[in-house]
Amino acid sequence: MIIEKSSEWADGLTKRLEGIEPWDNWTFYNMSYHIAQNNLITEFTGLQSPKYLTNLKPLEHQLKVAETVIERMNGKAILADEVGLGKTIEAGLILKEYLVRGLVKKALILAPASLINQWVEELHYKFYIPAVAYKKNTPLEHCEVVVLSMDTAKKSPHRELIFAQDYDMIIIDEAHKLKNHKTKIYEFVQSLKKKFCLLLTATPVQNDVFELFNLISLLKPGHLGNYETFQSAFSASKHDLEHDDYLKELVNQVMVRNRRQDTGIEWTNRQVNIIPIQFTAEEKEVYELILDLKNISPVFSGAFSMITLQKEMCSSKEATFLTLNKMRQNCTSLEENNSVEYVMQKLMALDINSKAEKALEIVSKAQDKVIIFTEYKASQAYLQWFLHTKGITSVLFNGKFNKNKRDYMKHLFKEHAQVLIATESGGEGINLQFCHHVINYDLPWNPMKLEQRIGRVHRLGQEHDVHIYNLAIDNTIEIDILQLLYKKIDVFEKVVGDLDDILSAFKQTI
Amino acid sequence: MYPQQVQQYLRTFFLENNCQFVNDTDHYLTVQLTIDMDKRIMNRPYYWQYVETTGGVPCPAQLTLITDQTKLTENIKGELVHFGSPRLSQLFQVTHDMGSFIQMFEQVEGTINRPILTPWLGVNYKVSYYSNQTKELLHSLGINLMNGNIISNFHTSLNEMNIAPSMPPNAFLLPYVIKPNRGLERLDGVVENAIQQDDHSWAEQAKKRWQRDMRVLEFFYEGVEVRPESYEMEKTALEQQYEARIKIEVINGGIFYLK
Repeated sequence: MIIEKSSEWADGLTKRLEGIEPWDNWTFYNMSYHIAQNNLITEFTGLQSPKYLTNLKPLEHQLKVAETVIERMNGKAILADEVGLGKTIEAGLILKEYLVRGLVKKALILAPASLINQWVEELHYKFYIPAVAYKKNTPLEHCEVVVLSMDTAKKSPHRELIFAQDYDMIIIDEAHKLKNHKTKIYEFVQSLKKKFCLLLTATPVQNDVFELFNLISLLKPGHLGNYETFQSAFSASKHDLEHDDYLKELVNQVMVRNRRQDTGIEWTNRQVNIIPIQFTAEEKEVYELILDLKNISPVFSGAFSMITLQKEMCSSKEATFLTLNKMRQNCTSLEENNSVEYVMQKLMALDINSKAEKALEIVSKAQDKVIIFTEYKASQAYLQWFLHTKGITSVLFNGKFNKNKRDYMKHLFKEHAQVLIATESGGEGINLQFCHHVINYDLPWNPMKLEQRIGRVHRLGQEHDVHIYNLAIDNTIEIDILQLLYKKIDVFEKVVGDLDDILSAFKQTI
Repeated sequence: MYPQQVQQYLRTFFLENNCQFVNDTDHYLTVQLTIDMDKRIMNRPYYWQYVETTGGVPCPAQLTLITDQTKLTENIKGELVHFGSPRLSQLFQVTHDMGSFIQMFEQVEGTINRPILTPWLGVNYKVSYYSNQTKELLHSLGINLMNGNIISNFHTSLNEMNIAPSMPPNAFLLPYVIKPNRGLERLDGVVENAIQQDDHSWAEQAKKRWQRDMRVLEFFYEGVEVRPESYEMEKTALEQQYEARIKIEVINGGIFYLK
């Protein structure tokens, strides 16, 4: 075994004995000894740090996660608690413990740009960790703990500057962004040295089980075998329950996941409902006309653009119009042009938006704060106008807002407006416990996005039952989306564990 | 260290360094630094260079340090100082630098005979065990430089004596039989011996974890002829994560003339 020892003190002693340098002061001598004694880490196990953190009262499950990760998982883990249980706190506890124990000297934290300041503040205020938000000329060699966005980190020259440092710990927030192993950011994280590493995500499986494979292969390559062995094992597990349990077991060796109900905290209920909506005859007609465009012009034959149009038509004519108009410009023949023009005229003549009417009905009935999530900026603007005409105040929110603007909008919503209308990218990193109605005006393809949205309100500090309204228009693409969402939730539950209700209280079996 | 202990420590530290308190409560303090302390901890060499070359009036800084924010009712701006904060680490380092080597004499009073004092070398060691976990031990040892007798818990036993940096009048200091540097080697030997006798199952376990994780890694790259850079990177990371290391540090020590 290696024993490290320095002769520095022996040399210093010689200098004093020879009278080259003076002796020191007894008080400092005594203090120095007591500092060492007080701060001595006397046990390999157990958490040393929480007792020093006066600004933090960690919850039982958070302490347990920190201990499990350090002692059982040796500091490499996926923290996959459900949204709102405090994954940041858990990561902070683990980082602090390693800093106190001297096992980590330098740490790198990658977080979405919108959350960087929140990380820095929490680490300072709750953990007394002097974290720095990375700017263009931040001297990385002097920063013990630095926080930056994945987008910045993967680009030159930042990428090279990061590689030049020797980080003992890597923490990645919203790690589901690494689900695809063909991306630049995946490759970047793969080539980072990961002595200790935490991947934070409430949603380790979003679409399929290979995303989880990719995440775990970043953390511990080989833990789930290589790609080929995993593929054959998982397809076997589709028919074999024993295999299934084995996979879950392996996953649980590197992943900790608390569900709200395991935390010992009283959680308010989550009431999730799918609200079916009928198009008016006019809306239905336009929807069909749009579908029919693919038979008229090659511009509309691509599956992807058609799906976008269908989804937009389920949202608002404003959103649809923008896309139609753009696509029309690619039409070459006069006939095509006229057909599209005709559809657009029909579209703009619509005077009722059935979905918006339903949303209004819910908002009016709630007589309380409501968040509406939409996928389209045009629908966001339309909804604000529509609600305004009905005498309902609202504020807009999206992920591109900087911190000040976010805080201001949150404040406006809390104090003055009844409704907050957010686009998808506004879903991460705002906490709105004072509100307990969420309308998913448009459905995303990915169930975990719904979970993230719900997590904005159904989190620690929520005092009321939370009502979730998932709007879906009958006989449209939205019903297909619902089916797909159910299928993805099923995969998640198979390998990761049960989920709280996202779509509706009743699980659909496929 | 808890906030009260930090507060207590700061108070002693600045008092001992002749810095005056402007405010002194149980949860924060404002201290007027001396020129010397300013130079040591405020990290502004250009300012001091400027003052000294222009002959300007030196204006050492005032520092407000808050140890317990939760008790703060006043509107006070200052640095939060906690266990683990950079400021406290800095002050610990200064304390350490200012208290590494000591020479002390036991004070003997009222004796008619000329008191005879025996030289001892006292050393406080910190031993750290590292793998993916840590544990630390303190060894405070003293060796009688006349007869080579070694005792443990040396620092604690000093607390019961009346010792001071100056030699009591009249005292007769016995010369060393064992040179201090030889004494130090013997004490080092005692520490190393204690390490050898200790239970090192922690290192065995770390090795097992290391081997297990290596097998997992090898499996991932099985059949890959040319191993990519990430493979080497993972290997290094595992080494750093699990390799068992032991570090011996001297906290401080010195020569003690005792009865």
